[in-house]
Amino acid sequence: MRKIRSFYISIFAFSLALVFSSFVRVSNDREKFNLPYKQAGLTPQQAAAHLLSRFTYGAKPGDVADVLKIGLEKWLNQQFEGNLKDDDLTAKLKVFDAINLSNTEVENLYPRNAQLVRFAVRDGAVHKDSVNGKAYRNLLAAYMKEKGYRPQQDLYRQFINQKILRATYTNNQFRELMTDFWFNHFNVALSKNQCASYVPAYERDVIRPNVFGSFENLVLSTAKSPAMLMYLDNFTSSGTNVPMSLPDDMMMGNAKNAANPQQKKARAAALQKMQANKKKNAKSGLNENYAREVMELHTMGVDGGYTQSDVTQAARILTGWTLAPMGDNGYGAPIKKMIENIGEANLAKRGFVREGDFMFVPNRHDNGEKTVLGKKFPAGGGYEEGVTLLKMLAHHKATAQFISGKIATRFVSDHPPKSLIDQMAKTFTNSKGDIAAVLTAMVNSPEFWSTNALREKTKSPFELAISAVRSLDAKINQPYQLYTWINKMGQQMYYYQAPTGFPDRGQYWINTGSLLNRMNFGLALASQKIPGISFNLAAMNNNHEPESAEAALKIYSKLLMPERKLEETIARLKPMLNDPNLENKVMQAAEKTAPPMQMNTMANEDANIMDDAEKMKKGKKALANANPTQKAGTVNMLSQVVGVIIGSPEFQRK
Amino acid sequence: MTSRRGFLKAGGLALFGIGLSGGMPSFLADAVAGTTTPALFKKRKIMVCIFQRGAMDGLMAVTPFTDQYLKAARPSIFMSAAQGGKNKPLIDLDGKFGLHPSMTAFEPMFREKRMAIVHGIGSPNNTRSHFDAQDFMESGTPFKKGTASGWLNRAVGLLGHDAATPFQGVSLTTSLPRSFYGDHPAVAINNLADFNIQLKGNQAGANLASKSFEDLYDQTSSGLLKNTGKESFDAIKMLQKTDTKNYKPEYNAVYPNTALGNSLKQIAQLIKMDVGMEVAFTESGGWDTHFNQGTDTGIFARNVNDLSNSMMAFWTDMGKYQDEVTVMTMTEFGRTVAQNGTGGTDHGRASCNFILGNSVNGGLVHGVVNPLVKENLEDGRDLAVTTDFRAVFSEVADKHLGISNDQVLFPDWQGKQIGVMK
Repeated sequence: MRKIRSFYISIFAFSLALVFSSFVRVSNDREKFNLPYKQAGLTPQQAAAHLLSRFTYGAKPGDVADVLKIGLEKWLNQQFEGNLKDDDLTAKLKVFDAINLSNTEVENLYPRNAQLVRFAVRDGAVHKDSVNGKAYRNLLAAYMKEKGYRPQQDLYRQFINQKILRATYTNNQFRELMTDFWFNHFNVALSKNQCASYVPAYERDVIRPNVFGSFENLVLSTAKSPAMLMYLDNFTSSGTNVPMSLPDDMMMGNAKNAANPQQKKARAAALQKMQANKKKNAKSGLNENYAREVMELHTMGVDGGYTQSDVTQAARILTGWTLAPMGDNGYGAPIKKMIENIGEANLAKRGFVREGDFMFVPNRHDNGEKTVLGKKFPAGGGYEEGVTLLKMLAHHKATAQFISGKIATRFVSDHPPKSLIDQMAKTFTNSKGDIAAVLTAMVNSPEFWSTNALREKTKSPFELAISAVRSLDAKINQPYQLYTWINKMGQQMYYYQAPTGFPDRGQYWINTGSLLNRMNFGLALASQKIPGISFNLAAMNNNHEPESAEAALKIYSKLLMPERKLEETIARLKPMLNDPNLENKVMQAAEKTAPPMQMNTMANEDANIMDDAEKMKKGKKALANANPTQKAGTVNMLSQVVGVIIGSPEFQRK
Repeated sequence: MTSRRGFLKAGGLALFGIGLSGGMPSFLADAVAGTTTPALFKKRKIMVCIFQRGAMDGLMAVTPFTDQYLKAARPSIFMSAAQGGKNKPLIDLDGKFGLHPSMTAFEPMFREKRMAIVHGIGSPNNTRSHFDAQDFMESGTPFKKGTASGWLNRAVGLLGHDAATPFQGVSLTTSLPRSFYGDHPAVAINNLADFNIQLKGNQAGANLASKSFEDLYDQTSSGLLKNTGKESFDAIKMLQKTDTKNYKPEYNAVYPNTALGNSLKQIAQLIKMDVGMEVAFTESGGWDTHFNQGTDTGIFARNVNDLSNSMMAFWTDMGKYQDEVTVMTMTEFGRTVAQNGTGGTDHGRASCNFILGNSVNGGLVHGVVNPLVKENLEDGRDLAVTTDFRAVFSEVADKHLGISNDQVLFPDWQGKQIGVMK
C-alpha cells in the first residue's frame, strides 16, 4: 500500500515538475524572442505577415489572424520546435507506400535499370541478344511483376509528391523550410544514378530530424549517409594501409635505417605489400571530391582559408568511409565478402565501424600521419580521426561566418548586411553551432525587420507554387502536376546537378523564360486548368459574390497577399477590369473550352491515370452539376483576376 | 557579379529616351558608363553545341578500321571499309579512319573540309560515371565539382559586348543544362511556340492577362522583376514577328522528326530571326549502348543517323548564315575497346567529336589514336585520352567567338590548342 502511494506521489511530483518546466519554458521563450518590429515601424499585423512570408511556404487565408491570436513569440517557438501535430498530413501521405522504406528495402524493391536487365538476363527471362524492342519490354515488365520489382521512377514520383504535400499542408512549416534549406546546402541529386535510391531516406532521416540541432551533427550525419558518400564519391576513396605493428619510421616510408636482418625482411615485405596495394588501388585510389566540397561548400566556404594540401590530407583522413553492404541488389558485394571472411563478431576488434548504412573499412584507410589546417593527425587514427576532422571543420571560425551568411541570405535578403552576419556568427561560435540559436539571433535582429528586408526575397519556383496553392486553400490530388510546373519555372527539384545546390538569389530564379512561365502558372492554376488541383474561390470570400469586378480585385488581392501595399497593383489592373468587353470575351472563350475539371474524387494522385476521354466526361458532368445561379462569366472573371494576381510581381516576392 | 544587361529593342535612341524621362535604371547606367555600349546584335558569330549524353562509342562512329586489335576485340560489332563484307562498308576518310555507314550525311562536309573530327578526345579525369564526367565536361573543371558555373555561361560572359537581347545564350532543353549554370543570362526554351502568355483554350483571356502583366511588371519597385519583365515582353514581341509554328526550312533542308532535329530546327529559326543569339546548346540521348549496339543497323546506327542528318539539315538550312555558325558535338567519355557479353560496350575513356563550320580546319581526323594494343590502352581497356576536351572547346570558342581569356573559360587549364580551326 505504501509502495503504491509513494508511486502516486512520485507521479504527482513528476507531473508537477513537468508543468513547472513547461512554465519555465514559456518564460524562456519570451526571453528568447525579442522581436524588434515596433522599432522598425511595423504593426503586429505586418510583423505576423513578415514572419509568415519568411518562415512558412506562404500564408493561408486567416493565418495572419491566427498568428496574432497565438502571439508572435509563441508561434515562433512552436515553429522552432517543429513538433505540432500533423494528422491531416499523415493521412494524406498514407497513399505513398515507399516513402518510409529503408535504403535496404529500396534497394530490394527498386533495382536500377541496368541492374534489372542484368537480373533478367541472369534469370533467363530475356535473352542477352534481344534486349531491345517492344517484345523485350513486355518480357521485362512481366519479369518485374513476377519478382515484385518496381520501376525507380515510381520511387522518385512518390518522394516528390510527398514533398509537395508536406510543404503545402504541414503545420510545422519552418521545419519543412529548413529541411529544404539544409538539403540544398548539403545537396545530392537524383540525376546521379548511384545515389538516387538513397535520396528519399537522406532527406527523411539525415536532414529533416536535424534541422534545428547542432551543425556538427548535420555535417557528421551527411558525411556518413549513403547518398552523400555516393554523390561525392567518397565511398570509393581508398588509401594505403600499413600494418600498425611496424615500427613508426616505416609509416613515414623511412626504410633505410633498418637495424637487424629480421626487421629488414619484415619491412621489405610490408613495403612490397604497400606497392601491391597501391597498384590494386590505382583504379579507385584517393578521391578528393568529398573532402574538397565539405570544406568549400558545407563548412568553411571557398574563401575559408584552406589549401590544396589541406584538401588532399583531409581526403586521406576520410579514406575507408563507405557504405555498409545492403540488400541483395545493393552496393557492397566486395565488402560483404570481406565481412564474411573476417566474421561479423571480429569487425570491431579489427577497427571496423558500422553504424546503420555507414561503414568504416580500415583496410581501405590511409593510416599514415596527416596535417589539416595546421592540426596534426598522428598515424593510426582510424575512424576517429575522421570524426575529429569533421568536428573541427564544423566549428571553424570560417564556418560560423559562412553558414551564418547563407542562413541570412535565405531568410533576410539576397545581400544581408555584414553586421547581421557577424552577430549570427558570434552566436554560432558561442553556442557551439546551435542552429536554433543562430536563427533566434537572426529573428531578434533589427536587420531582419528592416525595410531593406521586407518583401525583398524572390520566391523560388517551388515556393511560388506552394504559396499559391496555400493562399487558395487548394486541394491537391495530383501533386506531380505542380512538380511539372515548378520544373518549367526553372527549378527541377532534386535534380540540381552541382553540389552547390540551387543558388539562393532572385537573379538566378528570374529570367525571361522562367518569368513568363510564372505568369502562365498563375493563369493556369487560377482557371483550374492544372489537373488535380482544385479550390473554391467563392468559399474564400465566405461565398459572397463580389459586387463588381473592381470589388473582386480588391478582395482577392488582399486575401492572397495580406498586409501588402496593393494600391499600385490594383490601380494597374483596373484597365483590364474596365475593358467593356471583358465579360463577353471571357464568356465566349469559356464556351469554346471544357469547363474547369473537378477531380476531387480521384483517389490516386497520379497524372496519367485518367485518360482524356474520361476527363472530358467528368468535366461535362461537373458542368451539369454546377450551381446554375453561378454565372460562368463571373467565375471566369474571378479566375482571370486571381491568375493575374498570382503572376504579378508582388506575388513573386516574399 | 552583375552581368545582366537590359534589352533594348531600339538601341541608342530608346536609351536616350529613358534617360530623359528621369531615373535611368541602374543596369542601363552601367552600360552607358562602361566602355561597351549595348549594340545591335546582327552579324555575330554563333556557336552551337550538341551534347551526346550517355557516352558515344567513338570507335564505332569513326573506326580506325586498319587496327587488327580492334577487330579482334570486337568480333561481332567490328565493321570494315571493304566492299562486299557482311556489313555495309565504312566510309573511308583517309585510309585509316572510316565513318559509320549511317553517317553518309557527314561525308560531303568532310570532303569539302568543312568538318573536322577529333579522335582520342576526353577528360583528364578518369571517372567512368556518366554523371561525374558530364558534370566535369560541362563545368569545364575536370577535378572540381564545386565550380558553380558552366563553361558556356562563362563563354557568354566573355563575349565582350553587351548584347541587347535576352537570347544571347539559349538552350533548347526543358531545364537549363549544367553548361549554362551561372551569372550570365541564359534561357532554356523547349519549344519556341510556347514562349508566350498562355491560357489553354482561352486566347482572349491570355491576351488580356498579357496586357495586365506588362503593366504590372512595368511599375514594380523591384528592379530585377521590372527589367526581366520588360525583357520577357520584348522577347515575346520579337518572336511574334515570325510565325514560329509554321517555320519552313530553306534550301530543301529536311530535319529528321526527332528531338535533336526539332531542337536544331528551332536554333535555325532563332538564328534567322536575328534575335542576338551567340551561344546555343542542345542535346541528344541514347548513347549508352551496353546492349546490342548493332553494326550498320541497330541502336547505334539509328543514333548516328539522327545526329548526322539533323546536323546536315541544320547546315543546309543555314544557307547564307553558314559563315556565322560553327557546330560542335561533345560526349562525356567513350566506350570500352572490347565489346562486352551483351553485344554492346561499357564505359570507357576517350571518344571523338565533330566540328562543322566554314572556319574549321576540316577534312582531317585530328588527335592521336595509337594502335589499340593492350599496353596503349588506358587501364588496359580503353582508348586513351590524348586530347583534353578543353583544348578543343577553347579553340572553337576562341577562334569562332573571339573569346580569348582561357583562364576564365577553363580555369586550371594550361594546355595547348591543336589546330582544329583555321
